[in-house]
Amino acid sequence: MRDVYVLGIGITSFSRLEYPIVEIAAYSSVVALKDAGLNRVDHVFVANMGAARVNHQTALASALVDHLNLMPCGAETIENGPASGASAIKTGWMAVASGLHDTVMVTGVERMREVNNLEATDFVASLTHPYAEQIYGVTLPAMAGMFARLYMETYGVTSRHLAMVAIKNHDNAMLNRFAHLHEKISMEGILDSNDAMTNNPFVADPLRFYDLCPVSDGGATLILGTAEMAKKIGKPLIRLAGVGQATDTHCVHERANPTDLLAVRGAAGKAMEMAGVKPGEISVAELHDAFTILEIAESEEVGFFKKGEGHIALEEGYTELGGKLPINTSGGLKAKGHPVGATGVGQAHEIVTQLRGDAGERQVKNASKGLTVNFGGFGNNVVSLVFVRE
Amino acid sequence: METRILGYKCRTCGHVHYPNKALCMKCGAGDFDTEPLPFNGTLLTYTELYNPPGDFDVVKLPLGIVELENGVRMMGQLEIDHPAIGMAVKGRVDVVRRTKYDKIKGMIFKAA
Repeated sequence: MRDVYVLGIGITSFSRLEYPIVEIAAYSSVVALKDAGLNRVDHVFVANMGAARVNHQTALASALVDHLNLMPCGAETIENGPASGASAIKTGWMAVASGLHDTVMVTGVERMREVNNLEATDFVASLTHPYAEQIYGVTLPAMAGMFARLYMETYGVTSRHLAMVAIKNHDNAMLNRFAHLHEKISMEGILDSNDAMTNNPFVADPLRFYDLCPVSDGGATLILGTAEMAKKIGKPLIRLAGVGQATDTHCVHERANPTDLLAVRGAAGKAMEMAGVKPGEISVAELHDAFTILEIAESEEVGFFKKGEGHIALEEGYTELGGKLPINTSGGLKAKGHPVGATGVGQAHEIVTQLRGDAGERQVKNASKGLTVNFGGFGNNVVSLVFVRE
Repeated sequence: METRILGYKCRTCGHVHYPNKALCMKCGAGDFDTEPLPFNGTLLTYTELYNPPGDFDVVKLPLGIVELENGVRMMGQLEIDHPAIGMAVKGRVDVVRRTKYDKIKGMIFKAA
């Protein structure tokens, strides 16, 4: 198999975007094409979860190719729930590694704010099991609430730890102009003061408002290609060195230990093994913190910390900017935003930005190896990527 | 006749599944017998959801995962004022969701 490199990256703001979904996808795609100095690619993969339902539009990849006038290149839309983005990158990696294509554009896009928050949450809840979960009114925040309660009971994680994740990621997002939430929050305001219950009410007890990611629109693009192409472009050489994926049971209740995220463990393990990188060598990571508890749980499952010790590392500042292993420097899903189909590509965009040394005020010093975890379903389909600067 | 929720027992290894599968999670065989799931169990975890889907006409929706006395787990709605992990619960089959066309039945648990 051939080595696969990142030729170009592009992103839109993650926020409420009042544009047709194809134009959102086109924006990040054009930015990435310019970044790579290309005007043609061999193939286009578009990651999207909900356009058919939320925006009444199918076959997005065909529409994007037309909008960018990239005909007659091949194009497919890839749907893998909230892990669609990293799934599309993995598919792009396969296309270049196999020798089928020399340049592949991967664009993730979602426009969820076209409907109200309840409809958007209901759309995401359609990934749960139809008769064993969905009929009861369960949503992803509800799944996360049940997971968080058991996790807190088992490992001694408290609401304070969850709030620390939110505060850290909101702080990081202040330094990222593409982030959805530019809102500095404090322990006083969301947990300690008399107004805290008003500022930060329960959504899915024990999870509160500031434990949840926002509903975002957005697009992000990565252009992948061969070593030869990457050298020609003349940017820092960033190799997509590892791709890993694993699945778990559809229903959380069927897992032997419902606080284990075995698909995260499996996916990240495979990605790091392929890249020949150990967890201790990772300089920066983007973990799928749709809910604050997930950043803590995933930081353990990928092997950064022992099971049950992620919240202690958090407390010690290990995972903040300037710490030994900064997590979610972009602001994460929590504050950068979570346009579901775009999220996995957005995570990769941040890691490439860090490895190129282009992250400005939130730059991690000497970042050379980065990891992403893109979490589909409630942990039943996870894709992990490892990028290495050469 | 009392309405029951059915588990799916593998004819080869005896593992009981809920929900159903085409192939057994433990041994991979593909033939199952149905058997009613028990009503009694213990509450494994729970949440109170304050923004339930739009078609629910309630302020908060308590949901939980219960480990039934045969070891099979399932999700259900809770009618419990002060739920706690590990408490004994007893289920009944009743309407859990009303759509435009249907009344959908599922498990609702109370304190045992």
